[in-house]
Amino acid sequence: MHGNLARMFTMSLLLTLLFLGITAPVQAADPGVGDIADRIAPVGRVQLTGQPPLEVESEAAAQEAEAAEPMAAPRPARSDYPDIGVSSRAIVWVLAQLHLFFGALVLAVPLFVLIIELVGLFTGDERYDDMAHEFMKISLTGFSITAIFGGSLALALFMLYPDFMAYMMRVFGAQWLVYAGLFFFESFFLYTYYYGWNAFRYGNLKWVHLSLGLMLNASGLTIMVLANSWATFMMAPSGVNEVGAVVGNIWEVMKGPLWNPINLHRFIANIAFGGAVVGAYAAFKFLSSSDPEKRAHYDWMGYTSNFIAILAFLPLPFAGYWLMAEIYAYSQQMGITAMGGILAWLFILQAVLIGTILLAGNFYLWAGMSRTDGSERYKWLVKFIALILVVTFLIWITPHTLMLSASEIAQLGGTHHSILGPLGIMPAKNIAVNLMLIVTFLSFQLYRRSDKVATVRWAPVGNALMVAIYVVAIANIIFLGVYYGYFTNTVYKVGSSVAQVASTLVVIISGIIIDALMFKNAKTLPSHWGRIPDRAQYALFALPIAFTWLMGLMGYVRSSVKTHWHVYTVMKDNSPDNFIPTIAYAGNMITLVTVLFLLCLLFMFWVANLSETRQVKPVAAGESA
Amino acid sequence: MEKQMEDEMGKQMEEKRKIGIFTTLLSVVIAFAIVLVLFYGLNHLIMGMQGLPLNMDLTPAG
Amino acid sequence: MKILFKTLSFSIGLTLVFSLLTYLLPQIKGEAPVEKQVDLGSLTMDDFVALGEDLFSNKGTCTLCHKPPPLGRAPDIQGEDMVALSIERLADERYRGEAKDAAGYILESMLDPSKYVVATWGKKGSNDSESPMPVIDKAPIELSSMEMDAITAYLQAKDGNEVTVALPTAEAAAEVAAAPAGGSAAAPAPAATADEAMAKYACLTCHAMDSKDTLVGPGLVDVGERLTPEEIRESILDPNAVLVEGFPPAMPADFGTKMTVNELQMIVNFLAEKKG
Repeated sequence: MHGNLARMFTMSLLLTLLFLGITAPVQAADPGVGDIADRIAPVGRVQLTGQPPLEVESEAAAQEAEAAEPMAAPRPARSDYPDIGVSSRAIVWVLAQLHLFFGALVLAVPLFVLIIELVGLFTGDERYDDMAHEFMKISLTGFSITAIFGGSLALALFMLYPDFMAYMMRVFGAQWLVYAGLFFFESFFLYTYYYGWNAFRYGNLKWVHLSLGLMLNASGLTIMVLANSWATFMMAPSGVNEVGAVVGNIWEVMKGPLWNPINLHRFIANIAFGGAVVGAYAAFKFLSSSDPEKRAHYDWMGYTSNFIAILAFLPLPFAGYWLMAEIYAYSQQMGITAMGGILAWLFILQAVLIGTILLAGNFYLWAGMSRTDGSERYKWLVKFIALILVVTFLIWITPHTLMLSASEIAQLGGTHHSILGPLGIMPAKNIAVNLMLIVTFLSFQLYRRSDKVATVRWAPVGNALMVAIYVVAIANIIFLGVYYGYFTNTVYKVGSSVAQVASTLVVIISGIIIDALMFKNAKTLPSHWGRIPDRAQYALFALPIAFTWLMGLMGYVRSSVKTHWHVYTVMKDNSPDNFIPTIAYAGNMITLVTVLFLLCLLFMFWVANLSETRQVKPVAAGESA
Repeated sequence: MEKQMEDEMGKQMEEKRKIGIFTTLLSVVIAFAIVLVLFYGLNHLIMGMQGLPLNMDLTPAG
Repeated sequence: MKILFKTLSFSIGLTLVFSLLTYLLPQIKGEAPVEKQVDLGSLTMDDFVALGEDLFSNKGTCTLCHKPPPLGRAPDIQGEDMVALSIERLADERYRGEAKDAAGYILESMLDPSKYVVATWGKKGSNDSESPMPVIDKAPIELSSMEMDAITAYLQAKDGNEVTVALPTAEAAAEVAAAPAGGSAAAPAPAATADEAMAKYACLTCHAMDSKDTLVGPGLVDVGERLTPEEIRESILDPNAVLVEGFPPAMPADFGTKMTVNELQMIVNFLAEKKG
């Protein structure tokens, strides 16, 4: 605080001096002097009689420029943006998205690898340990790919958006050094964790190894939250005044209103995304192998990946809800731009993608029931689950807006439209989404139960309770949506969606608790890993594709709610790309990055498999004898 | 004698099954009652937390 | 290889399905607000009203919230006669502002929306004492005073009421030209507070702020008592129009082109508070 006051005081003093320096000679003398002063200024040493030396003035100007610079955010004109002939935004878009995809992957994999390793340690089942090691192996190249795209992104940003990056550098200052330094830690822990796997495998050394994994995750997560703070600063700047001058310390700059919601949302989404990606690897290996033992292994690996992806995916809407609520709280205008403006259309795509993910995840679980003989008990339920899923999915993706006539679409013309009131159709959609989550959890729960028989005496009571929770929760969600959504006012309508979400959470949490208690010492029926139809594996491909596309889409929405601002309300975007593109353009970009990601991923898996292959030594003609 | 015993056992079994159905029904009804109360309370709690009080019949209060 | 081909085409096919969906949705571009060049020489009141309507639905982003029910998140301004409503609201005991007429009320509601909150539209939990509306002359919307006048003119004209807002003057146009929205790299950083602004324009060189002593110009410790905010604004923008007796016309007359709208407003507000 004192520092700021002092700085402000010095600033004012300097500015006053400068102003005096400039105005005094001009005002005092006759009109011609200004011209003379201009003409002699380049020479510098000439001094008019009775005037202060001109050098003093220029020195003061230099000092002023230096002192003034750290104050406000720059206001670059369009000509200040380098033009390289291609859309700068498109370049940064592709690089940033690829960097994020791989970053998400390599942050998520070590996290669930560590958990799987722990599971292996506690169950004593070495298969877990080997699978964890394999997950690590296939994502190892991903770290380098992340770094390569990160470096290219930084380079592109500095080249194409120099003023903006200069400002960000100024605001975050030494934090960049911390960020760069963390990569040394991460690399150290990554390589010791991966290459030390078999060296530190048993006994106390295993704990050393687990600690290395923990530190790897700690440094990775720190890197993520630091990078998140840049994105959230751009959306909701904190620690700066209204013209962008830094007035707070680095902690105040980082800890904006959206930082923690984004941290949580990205953390959870990364796990779901990482699980889905390694699931595709397992599915590919499963399909391309005919050895039953290998098929069993990769079936199990695919199942585990899918389990991770879906489990992490279920709480994601709630994290998203929190993020959106914080956006509305920060700026209602920003929230409405996202949910009620042009970007609102993208949420229809989001619905399609999430529906694809849920359908694929459910389909895989149902197909996987063929692995166990005990699943016969629950098979009759599958068709009802499928029916509910399809109906709710259709409700969700059929917005009133698609029923527009051509002339109505033409009327939309401008930047805003009055027909798509997402609130008007939100109650129906909220019911649909919550029911989809609930029946997906039901699929999951049935699958988990399919190879077990409860032996506890209170099992019938537990089942009755579980059935009651499902039925009442579904009824409650429909009641809340219909009654408050259509028969009361807006405030209650919005408020009731929170109660709906709470009902869904009650189902999920109570389901996990009841099953954990009920099947604690349950009789296990035999499972036949590898006994799953080939077509089920395609669900494991649909999952990462939909996840990747969804990440691309929602990342685009997150970035676009800033509209024509680099840093919302503080630094305007005056570049030629400061408009929000059409949905088809955005869709093409997202497809482009998804396909590029797919190709890089193929490379990563191919490299991982190279280490397994060994070329047979060519037998020279002369040696054969 | 044997037949009588068999009858007796059959009756007992029948009774047990009746009790079984009865207890199952009872546990289902009780479970539903408990869960209904729970969700009713949940609605009041969540809406109240957001500053949106409800009447006893769940209509908006105030 | 066959498996690779099959799985890869399945994956890419699915991506294409998603991008195909994007073509089914309406293709709308969200242009960044473009600074409009206003030719003062030929500007008519009709043009001014049209400018206001354009600002209302585009740069001003008013229609994001001010939509017809049930879609709106704020009163349906376009569907109501704002002049008649303004006069009702000025008489309302809940009104806390200083506006005297409809035009003043409309302008005030943009600059300080909480002065009167229409019932049921206040921030949640504030009991209609606080408006959720952003201040229109601040970022991210940043309308200039001329632009806000244009919106006022539009809101008056759309229901056939008489437009009482004056057409923009040359000074106002200069304000717009100097406003940060112009986005020139060479423009000095705008000041963030009244103190900074007064230092930037060296007001203190000639005016004493804490006494009535004369330096070059008159002391300003009681200026808020002597002049209304409008008069203060005028004497900054056009200092030679009204001279305090006994003072030469020494004050620079080009502040209108140098100061940003915000800076001017901050200085005026600051001085208007100075009442001895």
